[in-house]
Amino acid sequence: MNRLAGILAAAFALASVPLAFAAGNPAAPAQKDTENHVAHAESRAGKSASWTAFPILKIRMSGEIRERRVIRVISQGIVANRIDAYSSDVNGTAWHRQLVFDLAGAKLEKQLIGGFHWLAAREELDGRVLVASTVHYSTERSAQNPTAMFMRQKHELEIIPQPYPREHSRYRANESWKFLVRFNGKPLVEQKVHVETANGTHTELSSDTRGMVTLVMPDDFMDAKNKNSAHDHGRRGADFVLATEHAEGGISYLTAFNASYGPDAFDQRSLALGLGFTLLGMFGAAPLLRQRKTAKAGTETTKNEDA
Amino acid sequence: MFKTLFPTLTRLRFTIQLLMLFVTVYGGALLGSYVVDRISQTLPSLACAFDKQTGDHCILIVNQHQLHHRIGEALAKAQEITYKVFIPTLVSVGTFFAMFFFLNKAFCGWVCPMGTVQEIVYRIGRRLGRPLHRFSQGNVGRVRPIKWLMLLVLVLGLPLLAGMGTVSNDFGDSYCQVCPSRIATTLLTADTEQIALRTSSGINFFFGALGNALFGFVIIAALAVRQPFCRICPLLSWNALFQRLSPMQLVKRQNDKCDKCSVCEKACPMDIHEIGREHGRKAFHEDCTLCGRCVEYCPDSGVIQIKFFGIPLFKSSRESYKQRVKLETPEGLPKNKVIWLAPAKESQNG
Repeated sequence: MNRLAGILAAAFALASVPLAFAAGNPAAPAQKDTENHVAHAESRAGKSASWTAFPILKIRMSGEIRERRVIRVISQGIVANRIDAYSSDVNGTAWHRQLVFDLAGAKLEKQLIGGFHWLAAREELDGRVLVASTVHYSTERSAQNPTAMFMRQKHELEIIPQPYPREHSRYRANESWKFLVRFNGKPLVEQKVHVETANGTHTELSSDTRGMVTLVMPDDFMDAKNKNSAHDHGRRGADFVLATEHAEGGISYLTAFNASYGPDAFDQRSLALGLGFTLLGMFGAAPLLRQRKTAKAGTETTKNEDA
Repeated sequence: MFKTLFPTLTRLRFTIQLLMLFVTVYGGALLGSYVVDRISQTLPSLACAFDKQTGDHCILIVNQHQLHHRIGEALAKAQEITYKVFIPTLVSVGTFFAMFFFLNKAFCGWVCPMGTVQEIVYRIGRRLGRPLHRFSQGNVGRVRPIKWLMLLVLVLGLPLLAGMGTVSNDFGDSYCQVCPSRIATTLLTADTEQIALRTSSGINFFFGALGNALFGFVIIAALAVRQPFCRICPLLSWNALFQRLSPMQLVKRQNDKCDKCSVCEKACPMDIHEIGREHGRKAFHEDCTLCGRCVEYCPDSGVIQIKFFGIPLFKSSRESYKQRVKLETPEGLPKNKVIWLAPAKESQNG
């Protein structure tokens, strides 16, 4: 048992080595961290402006302090004079807000309700309706379940994530995600949905009988230009867009939903090394499993039973 | 009916542990996809946020994020520390305490998925006839400070320094990177992502290697040592900070027989020798997880009790002690049951 105490103490001592190293070697000044956050936000919103012809919305963050950070929504491929922002508080007064564009984009004021927000831009011209939509997550308090927000009808033709990745999560390559395609609240069967990514993937999906399309996020980061670029917390990302068209009543509708996705879950991870170090730990504990010749404690146990 | 289903406190606790294991590992499937659907996001047990199906989150990841992203950043920019910065931290700690208030450290002994996994492994170890290693009174004192170091360094210190920019962002969730519950609970959902080592930076790799080795060590050690990780778990120390503020308390009154008995010490999975030798406040040690085994195995009626607002929920009795030892030794070795390998022996250091 001395050995067990020794091993535990040694393990913690080992852990303290990088801690001491880190304390003596400031690795990232605060300014750089802030830049990383901004870079990360830009990365997640996508850097290229010309990778798709479909309408998309991009989120830009500026400012150093979280409390003072300014968030702006920029539209591409659509001419709109405002952004409609919806919160998860579907029964509250803050459920729907209109954000007016200025030269730098539509400023997303600090939200009263945290959690997921649905953002959409709309353009109507000559019998054609364009809608761009995306989701923004706010860390403010009072977040509510966003399912009702997602499902409440906001436009005629809609692409709705089923579900959207939860907090501290994201779309990632090779993962399977579902989206509902509906028109005036009713699922569209066998509806064609175009998929494009900033990394160059172009594909087409078709909805099933429930109006669902299943998208396996493309694993196209190998060819991406930003493969080795630095991002917040070492995470890489690119944008993707889903778009669908539908004509009814003499009006043509085109709706797009865009978001960002990251590399495969095992990108920059090694399962073999992970299993190797796990086995190493197991071997370290293996001596504890050996039977001892002396049965001192066994005697104590017998005595205890007589107590 | 209740007595038939749960003839012993251990049976009741193990049933609740299995139920809570399901809730903390797979509960998201019942409660919903989003974090806001979770029970509290500040659970006083190691319900891992990296588990995509979890029904709740461990308080420690919330603490680390707040120190990293809010307090640390604000300190680094020399801004005034306003209520806007501290309120979120206070709210999460307050939410944690609202839950902790009623169950106290029973979150460790009855709810924590990592505790349950270790107990199950230990039971397997008894069936496999592996020896039991116990910490002597002298040696257990060497291990106990580690949980406080884990809390101060990995949960509080490094995330704060990361937020201030003093150390790399990779230290922002340093405890989570070494927590064995992160690997155990995600593996239980057939997700192997967390056991794969992150190779994006040297720090990530080192923490990951340490975490994986610790996980491997704990899983094997749990075959022969009761609750090996619980002894150094920062949540044990975090919960200990609030231990005296809860109406749920372990109470032991002075009894002359205690000097000659020590059965409760042997029953204690945390090797708290004070339970056999002390009484009053000292008997309810900071390492106690309120599992209640000392209550079950105390042969004298009413000496040890678990009380809630002063009302006894469980109390020791000669009758239940006799019933209990017929089924299992204080060390957890089942009686009259099939042992798969050689019968176990116990060893004690010191």
